[in-house]
Amino acid sequence: MADLKLENLSKRFSRKVWGVKKMDLSVKDKEFLVLLGPSGCGKTTTLRLIAGLEEATTGNILIDGVDITDTPPRKRDISMVFQSYAVWPHMTVYDNIAFALRFKHLSKAEIDSIVTETADMVKIDNLVKRYPDQLSGGQRQRVALARALAVKPKIFLMDEPLSNLDAKLRVVMRTELRAIHQQTKATTVFVTHDQSEAMSMADRIVIMKDGVIVQIGSPDDVYFKSTNVFVAGFIGMPPTNFFTVEIIHEGTDIVLKHPFFELKLDNERKSMLYDYSKRSLTFGIRPEDITITSEKNNLLKERALVVEPQGSLQIIALKIDDKIVKLVSAREHTVFPGDMLFLTFKQNKLHFFDIDTGERIGDL
Amino acid sequence: MKKELQRNLVRTARTTTLYILVAGVAMVILFPIYFLVTMSLMSDFEMYNEWPLPMLPSFSMSFKLQNSQKGYLLSIYNKVDNTYLDMLDTNDTGYIINFVKRKTNCTLTREKLNEIIEELKNNSKVEFKLRKNFLLNYTLFFRLKKDAWPAFLRSIYTAVVTILISLSIGGMGGYAFSRYFFKGKNFLKLGVLFVRMFPAVATAIPAAIILGNMGLYDKPIGLAFIYSIGSIGLTIWITASIFLSIPVELEEAAQIFGTSKAGAFWHVTLPLALPGLAACAMYAFIGSWNEYAQAIILTQFNPTFPVVVFEYVLGATGMAHLATAGGMTLAIPAVIFYLFIRRYILRMWGGVRV
Repeated sequence: MADLKLENLSKRFSRKVWGVKKMDLSVKDKEFLVLLGPSGCGKTTTLRLIAGLEEATTGNILIDGVDITDTPPRKRDISMVFQSYAVWPHMTVYDNIAFALRFKHLSKAEIDSIVTETADMVKIDNLVKRYPDQLSGGQRQRVALARALAVKPKIFLMDEPLSNLDAKLRVVMRTELRAIHQQTKATTVFVTHDQSEAMSMADRIVIMKDGVIVQIGSPDDVYFKSTNVFVAGFIGMPPTNFFTVEIIHEGTDIVLKHPFFELKLDNERKSMLYDYSKRSLTFGIRPEDITITSEKNNLLKERALVVEPQGSLQIIALKIDDKIVKLVSAREHTVFPGDMLFLTFKQNKLHFFDIDTGERIGDL
Repeated sequence: MKKELQRNLVRTARTTTLYILVAGVAMVILFPIYFLVTMSLMSDFEMYNEWPLPMLPSFSMSFKLQNSQKGYLLSIYNKVDNTYLDMLDTNDTGYIINFVKRKTNCTLTREKLNEIIEELKNNSKVEFKLRKNFLLNYTLFFRLKKDAWPAFLRSIYTAVVTILISLSIGGMGGYAFSRYFFKGKNFLKLGVLFVRMFPAVATAIPAAIILGNMGLYDKPIGLAFIYSIGSIGLTIWITASIFLSIPVELEEAAQIFGTSKAGAFWHVTLPLALPGLAACAMYAFIGSWNEYAQAIILTQFNPTFPVVVFEYVLGATGMAHLATAGGMTLAIPAVIFYLFIRRYILRMWGGVRV
């Protein structure tokens, strides 16, 4: 059980290519932290830096206040689950799990009890005598997990461990990983590019882009208070819809003018724009915050282009100003492609962003 | 129904043609080996007096001894022509014993000959059968070529050292080529192959001068160095692709779970690369064991075994059965090595399944 601290951590691959750039991050004891971002954003590099598989260019890594920046991986008291599982094919499941324990000079009985215990925990106790090529992908994943759990590390690192599993198994493993975390209470750093995975598992999410942290926060924070256009667009499925609008002052009123609609803001929204002096802005609205309404108080109308039924919900795609806009609605009345829809936005769910920098305007 | 029959016929014809082709190819490959083995077990008589050459060496020979004007007439049964060939007419019994041994690889004891001569007093001829000493060619080969046995040992020593050098250096090179990026990597990798483009005989002359300066001329260790040059290149290419097929994550996982970088190599990469290394060992062994062109130039008084066999084959007019025995002796260690290493190559040849 330990906390982890990254101070001004950088990894430079070549003159122009930075893996991670001046990163400051602290992971609390027993926390389940998720590093989230598109591929190439530096999240895996960060994890490998923590593991010691990459050498930091500058900065420090501290576990429990002890600087381990130059410590070899085996002495860092960490363990890792790899994306490709990295289960050793020439060893049985038992030997895979016991590998690290044998270096700790434990007695045979101790090793045996730890292996049995961890194999039990990840439900592979009946497979310990097999070789990895006799296992399915999901079972190998569990072996990798057991191997990492067996050493009882201070920090538990996971590099997209679920991305090679099929969709159904992935959801099952999410729950199991969370359950195991609650049981072991090991500080965990989990890397993924799947935002729904991050949302469902994390205590806190760190969103990265181009080697830099964009936002750190709880799943709700990053979802409801996205710090910029990138985060708002990355988090959520389907992603946030963005509209670029002109700001028109009509007396005391503020109207957002779009070629297809004009949105008159309420007082609270207006106050958010007090300090904003530019002539236009980008606003985002989540698919579930666009509502289908009656003809008389609609903001805009458009024909449905594509409808994806999702059981109790439906995702409706339509084209506004040549951009695909998606909205989610309940299946109270099923929409068919080509139906005319009357839409309105929930004003209190609007997210305003700077037209140039993409940064959030105003605080909720 | 008719169509089905037709389809079956075509299929049968096709597979039959294929099998005949495969069998033909196998025959072409196996026939010389078969002849080498059988000839090395044949006696002088079978080799030169029976024509066409018998397919199988015989286990025993039939003789006929008659009284003659000079003394005794010895005839040997020719199983191809189905007749007795008159071979020797002499009264020197010692010479008869010697002749039987040399000509047919059979041992005729003095007592047995005396018995036969005793019998001859009552009969005009005596027919008798003797068991052939199957491996006499081999013992004879080593007895006739006094330097064959030391050369054999030198050859084994050379081969082992060649394997050790080329596996350690070539393996490390292959590992470096597969795991690290550095300037001129491809150039170097091709350069390693480039070395092999020069005929061994041509490079042997400068090699002889260099070895002479190093004091390693005419020594097995010097020969092993020269052989290693060729096999290191091959080892690098084979092991580089083997190591490439072993995911780096496996090593990284080992590093995280308690070993150093070297430990990860030892515990994870090496066992997984074993089939490839075994194949390399085999190539290195064959390259060293069968080589004589360089060995002739690079040795003088301490030749390797192939050189001895080569000399014997060249100078073996009328002694092909002994030469083939030498050839077999050259082949046997290679076969034994192959049998030993076979299970490692078969285990996972062609990469690692993860």
